[in-house]
This record gives sequence, structure tokens and C-alpha cells, in this order.
Amino acid sequence: MLNSFRQSMAWVHTWFGLVLGFVLMVAFFFGALSVFDREIDRWAIPETRFEPQPMPSYDNLLKQVFADLKPHPLDMAATAERVIGDLPAPETMPMVGLFAYTTHRDPVLRIGAEFAIPNKPIDSKDDHLHVHGWATIDPRTGAALPDDQLKIGSNWFYPMHYSLQVHWKNIGVFVVGLAALVMLVALVTGVIMHRKLFKEFFTFRPKKRTQRSTLDLHNMTGVVALPFHFFFAFTGLVIFASFYYFPVSGTLLKPLHDRHEVIEAEHTGLPHDEAGVPAELASVDAMVAEAKRIWAERDMAGEVGLLMIEHLGDANGYVSIYRAGSDRVALVGEGIHFKASTGEVLREEPPSDPVGAVNEFLTGLHLQHFEHWTLRWLYVAGGLLGCICIATGFVFFVEKRKQEHAKRGLQGCRLVDAMAVTTVTGMVLAAVAMLVANRLLPDAMPGRGDWEKWTFWAVWLLSLLHALWRSAPVAQARSNPAWREQCWALALACVAAVLLNWLTTGDHLLKTMLLEPYWAVAGVDLSLLACALVSVFTARRLARTVEVKQASRIDGVAYE
Amino acid sequence: MWLATGWLALSLPAHWRQVFVANEVAPGYLRPLGWLALGVSVLCCFKADHPSMAVLVWFTLLPVAAVATAMTLSYRPALLRVVCPVFLRAR
Amino acid sequence: MMVSASRGAIISRILAAIFGCYAFVWGVVALGVAALHGAGLEYHAAEQAMMMLAFLLYLGLFLWTFAAASVRRVWLVLAGGSAVMLAAAWQLQRMIIG
Repeated sequence: MLNSFRQSMAWVHTWFGLVLGFVLMVAFFFGALSVFDREIDRWAIPETRFEPQPMPSYDNLLKQVFADLKPHPLDMAATAERVIGDLPAPETMPMVGLFAYTTHRDPVLRIGAEFAIPNKPIDSKDDHLHVHGWATIDPRTGAALPDDQLKIGSNWFYPMHYSLQVHWKNIGVFVVGLAALVMLVALVTGVIMHRKLFKEFFTFRPKKRTQRSTLDLHNMTGVVALPFHFFFAFTGLVIFASFYYFPVSGTLLKPLHDRHEVIEAEHTGLPHDEAGVPAELASVDAMVAEAKRIWAERDMAGEVGLLMIEHLGDANGYVSIYRAGSDRVALVGEGIHFKASTGEVLREEPPSDPVGAVNEFLTGLHLQHFEHWTLRWLYVAGGLLGCICIATGFVFFVEKRKQEHAKRGLQGCRLVDAMAVTTVTGMVLAAVAMLVANRLLPDAMPGRGDWEKWTFWAVWLLSLLHALWRSAPVAQARSNPAWREQCWALALACVAAVLLNWLTTGDHLLKTMLLEPYWAVAGVDLSLLACALVSVFTARRLARTVEVKQASRIDGVAYE
Repeated sequence: MWLATGWLALSLPAHWRQVFVANEVAPGYLRPLGWLALGVSVLCCFKADHPSMAVLVWFTLLPVAAVATAMTLSYRPALLRVVCPVFLRAR
Repeated sequence: MMVSASRGAIISRILAAIFGCYAFVWGVVALGVAALHGAGLEYHAAEQAMMMLAFLLYLGLFLWTFAAASVRRVWLVLAGGSAVMLAAAWQLQRMIIG
């Protein structure tokens, strides 16, 4: 496109990197937080601060819990819009399928069920018509935990990571997908642009001009973590590919896919449809014991992660038991299926074919269900390195152009810089402010979770306005004081969150670290403090020589 | 045990990086030694974990170790002398 | 900075890189899944294999869009290729199902 190949690639790197970098920053940062999503949940919902529990007994506990589970009003309303006629009363709907899900990091158990309805769909292609019910329970007692408590880690930060919380027509998922593709593009073009890849592998010169040292940091964080960045962007895309990005099986090749599904059902012996004859359920605990025995025989003893029952109460009903991911990367369930009425083994899932194995490894690599705390922290580190790489990219963009823009009276740098402030310090500030709000809002407040979300958005918007308001100096080739000011705000917010956690729950660091160790909460607190330290350091550094490097700010930003 | 491998991988590849300190003359054996140390760290990872996990640990440790080394080089280059004791410095 | 490219040409390339390549990769995926499955590979294995290939291909095409000398040829290859492959995938599916 331009004069030379290298120039064209540099153009792609600069402009795509700039525009989608803001999205990438969000994906990387919240991705790093999502590594510890369950731990953040514990911090935000103090009632659930107890040790992770294995899957409880179905016969003695879950059976009753599911008997009490009703269709969720939210899904009632959503389904009512898709069907002809009125839905029957929720109490009368028969439960036809259910699941219970836990991981080695979850004290709480997520359960859900499908309820059959007699209504016909408005759109005849709408073929999975059920009303769903769900709950989160305490697996020790079976008591339902309050449903309106927002799981900040797994239901807010984690979806933010892949969807930006923009759910309309899944726009968010597609934007993040494009950003991930641009990440791959930026890595390749970056390598093409970079002239001294190996010679400057470890080069970082903090004492040089800001422009030089940010470029050093940008190159270094990009190059040394190149495999990490590449694989995470790539596997992220692969995970969503068949469902969102290239849904061939649901559209163009649907006939082929459906035909295969029927053949497969015959092949596996798992009934695709109901028999229409009611049947009793045999002891599920016995099936669980049998599944564990089979796993142990394969030299991969483990706990149950997912328990599902299809066609509940029907003669064709079957129970599927999957192993919790823990000791390997690949996301393999080693599923074993039992006939629900007798408890005999219907099918053991065979080891996957080579393609499937590669896919499971790539998916598992990204979703990290394994039990390996060192590796988790390394993931966080990798994610934050990605953040540094992107942030320094912004800073370099501004540094490179601001002299010239100042001379010519352009405002471009000013805007980019303000956006950079918003997506770096502003974003972290919003996340921490959400935690502060979580501890400040009264427990009994209706719609408490929604208020937390509003706090998050409001703080983020305020940080943007603040950055824009303070951005005038950039247009004169100086730096924006908003960087420094937001660092101070961030430090205050972090310390406030830790103190509020102590005041409202009594769990101070001495207790969670030494007296009654509970590392989930201690980890969040410690990370908040580390974040506060880094912010203070950066703010002071920025104040001393307003022009010195800015990037180490995100260095420790709120792990977890 | 995997913690131990973490330290190992962190400290050993540092040898290799010493090559790039702007010493007057960097001894030539440092580069092979560094690669060797990286190899040893791979073995350590494999010994500690399930193979699939080991690959990941090693690949994620690498950038962390590299950044740590780079930061040491920028702020406290003297510290890196530790990994290359005097008696080894002769050519 | 823009030495040899007009604003229109750049916008055209950006659109080609994002949407043109997307359509092309769609075609490859659809045709690839149908062909691999037709050749005897299990359906989901075929699907997963193509999904992994898809993004590497997308990445390559994306860069090619900006590296290629002529925008017109880029558009021609992308649009023509995706149309042909989608049609071929459809036809192949009908042949497999019979």
C-alpha cells in the first residue's frame, strides 16, 4: 500500500493498534483479573468465604434442592416473548433436565434446571424451548444463597473480558474478537517493524527521553511475552469461533450438522429424545462412586465437576458425570453416562481424536481450570505485561507526535492521551471503585448489584471527563496531569477497599494471612495494597520529573 | 516442588542474559551456558508437572524471568555480577 | 505519512481487511468443514480443525490486504473467492446428504 512493505506494515501496526488497543487493554486487564474471578467473588460476597467444597451427595441433598428449584422469573419473561399463548404457572412445569457445577476453587455450587412447556414457538426454527431456573447454593447445607448478589469476579469482570458487557446483538464479543485478531496482526507487524529484535531483547533505558524508554518498554514487553500474547489472542478466538465468529454448523451447514448429530446419538447410545414413559431415578451417588472408580482405573482419579441429568423422570433419562479439571491443561471431562433408571453405564467417552485433543489443549490453556497457583500468577503477570505493552504503545504514539501537533495546533494527541488515561488508570479506578461500592452499599439494599455496576460505569466515565478536562497541556507538548491525579485517586481507593473490607467483615490481613488463613480474600487485599503502592510510586515519579516514564504504573495494577 | 522449579528457571537463564551486559568483553562460553540453563529449566518443569502443564509453566515463566532480568539490567546491573562469579570471568 | 495512498484507497483496504477477509475465511471454513467431513473425518473434528486454521488464514489475509499492490485485485480475490467457496460448500453438503 505504501512505498515499502515495511512501511505498510508499520501503518497497520500504528493505526489498528491505536484504535483497537483501547479494547485490547480492557480484554487484557480484565482477563488478568478473571484468572482469580472466584477469589474476587469471595471478597465481594462475604457470606461465601469458606473453603471450596466437593460436589455434595445427590441422593441426600441435591435431590431436595432441585425439588425446590423453580423456573426463574427472568427466563419466564424472556421465554414468554418467544412462544404463542400464555405460559403455564411456574409451579406446574415439569423439570426435564438439570445440572450442578463446581470447580476446585468454588465454595458455592451453581445449579440449574430446564422446565418443559407445552407452548409452540413463534419462530418455528426455535427448537430448544424450555424455561430455565438457576440458583447458587451452599453445598454444605443446600441453602440457597441470595441470588441478587453480584458475583463481581465471575459475572462482571469475566464477561467484561470477552464482551465488554455490550450484549446487544453480541456486538461486544465481535469487537473483542476483532481486537484479538488485531493483536495477532500487531504482533506480526511489530516483529516486521522491529529492526533489532534479539540485540535489544533485554533493553530498557529508563533514563533516556520518554519517547525512547517507552519504546524500549513496548518492545521488551511485546517481544519477551510474544508467545503468551499470541496464544492467548489466538485461543480466545478459537474458543468463540464455532459459536460466534464462524457459526457454520448453525447456518449454512446446519443440515449436515443435524444429520451428524442424529447419527452420533445412535452411535453413542445416548437417547436423543424422550421415550414418553415415566421412570424412577436410581441412586445417583452410586453412579458417582462408579465414575470415580473408572477414573481412578485410568490413573486420573478426581472429583466430580459437572453432573447433568437429561430427560429427567423419563425412561430414556440418563445421568452424565464429568470430572473437574485440575491436574492437566486440556479441558477434558472424561464424561461417563449412566442410565438414570437403573444406574448401568451407557457409555464412557473415548479419548478424543488428535484434532479434538489439540483443541482441548488450546481451550484449556485459555480457560485454565487447572489447579496450579504458580501458573495462575504467571498468567496474571503475562496479562499485565500485555497491558504494559499496549499502554506504552499509546504513550509512544503521543510522545512521538505531540511536538509536531503542538506546532501545527492539532488536537489528535490530546484526545489519544486522554483516552489512554481513561483506559489505563481510569479502568483500574473503576474496577476498584466497584469493590469499594460493594463494601459501602447496605446489604439489604434492593438491586445492590445494579448499583455496583452503575458505580463502575460512572467512575469510568468520570475518569474520561477528568482526563479530557485536564488534557490541555498535551496540546502544548507537555504531559497531562490527569495521569498523576488518577494515580493518587487509585491509591486512595485501593487502601479504602482494604480498610472497608476489614471494617465491614472483620477480615483484616493479619487474620486472613496468619490467624485463620483464607488466601482468596488475603490475595485480593494484598493485590489492592500492591496496586496502591505502585500508584503512589508512579504518581510521585510523575510529579518529580513530569516527563519521566509513565508506564510502570500499570506494572502492578490490581492483580486479581 | 513447582515453586523450586520457578526459582531455578528464574535464576538459571539469568546466566544467559549476562552476555548482554555491556562488559568490556563478555566471555564466549556464557551464551552456550545460558542456553544450557534454559534447557535445564525445561527439564525441571517437566519433572515437576504433568507434561502439558510443564510446557505452559515454562513458556509463561520465560517472559517474567526476562523482564526481571531486563529491569535488573536497567536499575541494578551490579546485581547480575552475582550470577557470574569472579573465578568464571576469565576467558 | 500517506505517501502513495489516497484516503479512499485506505478506507477501501480497511473494509477489505475486516469484512472482505471475514467473508473469505467464512467461505474457507464452510467449504473445509464440508470437504473434510465428506472425506470421512468426524464432523466436530473437521469443524475444530477449520476453526483453528481460520484465524491463521485470517491473519495472513489481513496482512496481505495491506501489502498487496492493487486494492482492486484484493477485492476481486476476496469477494470472488468467498462466493465460489460458499456455493461449493452448499453444493458439497447436498451431495453428502444425498
